[in-house]
Amino acid sequence: MTLLLPSSPLNVVDALRGDRTARPLADMTSASGLRAQLEDGIYEIIGKSNPASPLIVRASSLRQPGATTDLSFLAIGRIRGVLINQLLRLHCVGEHVDHAFEEAVDAWRAEAGANELLNRLEQMDDDERARLATDVTAHSVTLLRSLGPLPSRWMPRSTVRATQRLAAGNVVLRDVIDLMMGMNNAHSACVVLLDVTTSPLDEAAERTMRYHALVETLRTSIVPLRTSAFSTATGELWSTGVDHELLTRSYDEVLDVIDQLWKSQ
Amino acid sequence: MTTLLHRRHTAEQLNELIESAPKSLVALNDDHRRSLSARFRGVASNEHRRVDAWSVERAGQPSTPFRWGPNTARRTIGNAALRRVAFRPELLICDAVHFEIDDLLLRAVSGSARAGSLGHWLSCLNHPALALVSAEAMNWATQLMEAAQGLSYPWLIPASDAYYDVATARTTLRGRRDLVVERDASRVIIRLRAGAPGKSAGPGLRSDMTIDALANADGIAPARFIGLWPEAGVLLSVDGTMSDLRAGARDLVRTAVVQRRTRLAIAA
Repeated sequence: MTLLLPSSPLNVVDALRGDRTARPLADMTSASGLRAQLEDGIYEIIGKSNPASPLIVRASSLRQPGATTDLSFLAIGRIRGVLINQLLRLHCVGEHVDHAFEEAVDAWRAEAGANELLNRLEQMDDDERARLATDVTAHSVTLLRSLGPLPSRWMPRSTVRATQRLAAGNVVLRDVIDLMMGMNNAHSACVVLLDVTTSPLDEAAERTMRYHALVETLRTSIVPLRTSAFSTATGELWSTGVDHELLTRSYDEVLDVIDQLWKSQ
Repeated sequence: MTTLLHRRHTAEQLNELIESAPKSLVALNDDHRRSLSARFRGVASNEHRRVDAWSVERAGQPSTPFRWGPNTARRTIGNAALRRVAFRPELLICDAVHFEIDDLLLRAVSGSARAGSLGHWLSCLNHPALALVSAEAMNWATQLMEAAQGLSYPWLIPASDAYYDVATARTTLRGRRDLVVERDASRVIIRLRAGAPGKSAGPGLRSDMTIDALANADGIAPARFIGLWPEAGVLLSVDGTMSDLRAGARDLVRTAVVQRRTRLAIAA
């Protein structure tokens, strides 16, 4: 039996909004420098050679290679992650969710059509499916209670994709931001990025937060206000303002990944 | 010689591309239209042919049959929602998207939507799927609004794409356009694209521009046609010069030729 508190001790939106009067001016100059640094760094790794296929960096590439993992558990974890993401998308447009698991599956079917993970879900026996449904429901309660209603004026967008080609297309940075709020047309920085994970937050979540900020900066040429990660497993929120130091750390991490990918080719 | 400019997507760069668009306007006359019609007639077809920038970018190769989904519905709903917001600025994008979907559903319920139309497809969806369509449309409309709000020139969301039926050639050309920017007597067209531009993005933009010029009653071409890829943060633009229009028309005809060859190969 899952016990729930009557209300969440934390409102994620309030934490993301922060003190409106203390927002810095939008930084529109750092992006070009970071891009040039990345191009130089990549050149030092791959030189003039052309990899057979582009080296693709994703947020998942920044996670530490784990120890032995049971593949069946991995698939269930991924399905849970996808379903929670679907619920976030529904919540983002003000859809009231009554039956978290069923509605998330319906939304997923509408979005993806047939795929390997969805087939895996269809093949689950009743017991396995019921376990997953309980799990998803518990995570969704944590998510929806902690998020609270998302203000429409903040222009919440879910599953925002970004692609950045570097080194003449030999390196591609790909990213999907679960939730983005705020718009880039203001003088002050006001775009907030949120990564929602069903795992507890760890060092990898920090790297993912930084990666989101770096790719968003390269994509829009404007440094976002804040990058955050929320765990539906623990209800924890990590949030930090984006500054040059954070972006430089992510730059180092991305170069490390590119180096590993290049060596493994 | 054709043109293709590449810029990073920022409000300044977008305004600069509009500002620096060619001042002299190019128009397609009746001779141009007759010549295009003759070339399309030369490519025999037993059925009505539809050619657009997408088929040009795919070099006429057949793609999977069109079906409605959150990704294919987002542009229609998102653009219509932003058009509402442009008329009623107090309206939020989220509400505008919901109103638009409600209107489409109402049309389906009243029997006005034909089978296979967006309204008809929406009416068959359950609530979570409808919400997902709203989420995609909101993403689209927000990206377009972000681009539009940074413009220093008056803009509008066109009520429809540009269509041109090539006389006596059983061919319909469709040019997509998302934002029309008015600059003095000329216009600059912006098209929002998902993903990142590929190698055939330039020919695609040229085809869209040529179709837009053909669909114009006076044959006047846009001063510049800009492709905006927000996911990649990239702007590509082609100028409304006669050489670009000719290149666009050539690509459209070549696509029709490849489509015919592919059909013949399949039939054989």
